[in-house]
Amino acid sequence: MTGRVDELPEPTGRSLPLPERWAPEQQETIPGVSWAWQAITGVLLLVLLTLHMIANHFVVQGGLRDYQQVIDYITNPVILPLETLFLVVVSWHGLLGLRAVIFDFGLSARAERIVTRVFVAIWVVTVIYGVTLLAILVTHR
Amino acid sequence: MTDRAVTRDADPRPSPGVPLSARRRGVAGWVDVRGRRLGGVAFILNRITGLGVLFYLYLHLVVLSQLAVGPSAWDSLLKNWFLNPVFLVLDVVLLAGLLIHGLNGIRVALVGLGLVVSRQKALLGAFGTIGAIVLLIGTLMFISHGG
Amino acid sequence: MSETVTFRVQRFKQGDPASHYDTFQESTDPRTTVLDVLTRIRRVEDPTLTLRHSCFHASCGTCGMKVNGREVLACVTNVRELGTDEVVVQPLDNAPLVSDLVVDMGPFYARFNAIDRPLVRESELVPGSHPAEGIPHAERYEDCIECGICLSACPIAATDPEYLGPAALAAADRLREEPRGQQVPPALRLADDPHGAWRCHVAFECSEACPSNVDPAGHIMSLRRSLIGRRWRALRGEPVGAER
Ligand code: HEM
Ligand code: SF4
Ligand code: FES
Repeated sequence: MTGRVDELPEPTGRSLPLPERWAPEQQETIPGVSWAWQAITGVLLLVLLTLHMIANHFVVQGGLRDYQQVIDYITNPVILPLETLFLVVVSWHGLLGLRAVIFDFGLSARAERIVTRVFVAIWVVTVIYGVTLLAILVTHR
Repeated sequence: MTDRAVTRDADPRPSPGVPLSARRRGVAGWVDVRGRRLGGVAFILNRITGLGVLFYLYLHLVVLSQLAVGPSAWDSLLKNWFLNPVFLVLDVVLLAGLLIHGLNGIRVALVGLGLVVSRQKALLGAFGTIGAIVLLIGTLMFISHGG
Repeated sequence: MSETVTFRVQRFKQGDPASHYDTFQESTDPRTTVLDVLTRIRRVEDPTLTLRHSCFHASCGTCGMKVNGREVLACVTNVRELGTDEVVVQPLDNAPLVSDLVVDMGPFYARFNAIDRPLVRESELVPGSHPAEGIPHAERYEDCIECGICLSACPIAATDPEYLGPAALAAADRLREEPRGQQVPPALRLADDPHGAWRCHVAFECSEACPSNVDPAGHIMSLRRSLIGRRWRALRGEPVGAER
């Protein structure tokens, strides 16, 4: 189109299309909530992981516990809930992190939903596995 | 206004047909740190250590199943494998990974919430120093306790 | 005085199966810039070399490219100060390649313009300026020169094609800081998205690379803080209204 400067249309830049993806109904329920979970569980882990590392590596004579020492450790009424919480939080944080890495590839909303469901399932299985193991150890003293 | 005639396309995009996704660097943009600065290195280290520790977590959970088998299974595993110096080295690697990830994670959490943004580089330096010191102490403790 | 530097320039034309490098031996003096050399190559040696430039003084933002692996404005990048005998010149990353050193800025502009932030910063009159007779006051433009360098330096833009990107997010935060009579919520709606402010992983590469001191990463973080504040107020039933 040819014309004089003062006849030029408004710059069309503002109406250039954004990727279709920018539709609000495709958004995660509260944007940023995954990241918030990552940060909150991360800070929790800082405490739980430090305890876990100290309790299992640094204060044990010989570096690692033998069977009887493990049983004695895990049946301690303070340790058991802490280690259970550690299991729940660390698997949540780690799987959420892997999900974030996958999401960084820019998946479709549908693919994101599938990934989320698969990861929740893996998390549930992990926690059930861990709690079962703990239960076996605590009851077979 | 001047009366200079100008030609202008209706669509100002140089090549409207090019898909928006064309020519991304892909994962190379994460791991190729040539030309990148400290923050980019911290990002990819955080990612690698996070994924590495996640892998270790599942390995760890599988190994712990031997506890359910019974005392002899666990204790022989301990004697024949885990108290070996090779595993001592792996323990140091794990500790290093955890320190890098954990400390950088705190930086990401603080800065990501809009706190200490202007001092984020100093934070990175401070955490690097703390991490190195803890790693040194931890390694010495591994050596004196284990093996 | 004159010192010869080898320039390895990435070449690509539509239809080529892949890009390749052409090598040019160029004499330089202490003040030669990368853009000086490239325009000379085009004038003297190879008129088919395509590149974008306009102002030659870091204002127009068209000469962004990668020199020795880092994103710079070629017009203010001194060749001798690079300190290498060989200088590698490549187009910006994470944008479609049009030809040689020219990338399609369309996707970048589409995001940036969607934020619709005014160009003139009314809050900051240039200190100590003496405007000419008849001009009421000096005006200061926003810092961002829309060069796309931040998007090229960003690791996340390397994989997420829908990432809004550092410059657009920084613009949204500038609009929030200083609405200048403009509507803020539409920009915040674009920014408050998994592919917006929340996609950032705090590498700060954009802020390091930005040639115009915009500090996009810092703006993304303050944007996040204000988004959290808004959400918090909404949760407690307080008016979200105030944008900062
Ligand atoms: C020591 C305490 C820890 C803290 C403070 C912490 C903190 C964080 C934070 C803030 C992030 C988000 C990074 C980002 O958005 O770029 C993150 C990511 C991640 N974390 Fe942790 N974390 C910790 C321990 C762990 C552990 C034990 C695991 C392994 C199970 C783990 C696995 C991951 C993974 C896989 C990611 C995703 C990596 C990425 O986004 O690049 N973290 N962590
Ligand atoms: S924020 Fe900086 S690097 Fe990004 S487009 Fe603007 S001036 Fe260029
Ligand atoms: S030519 Fe204008 S910024 Fe380099």
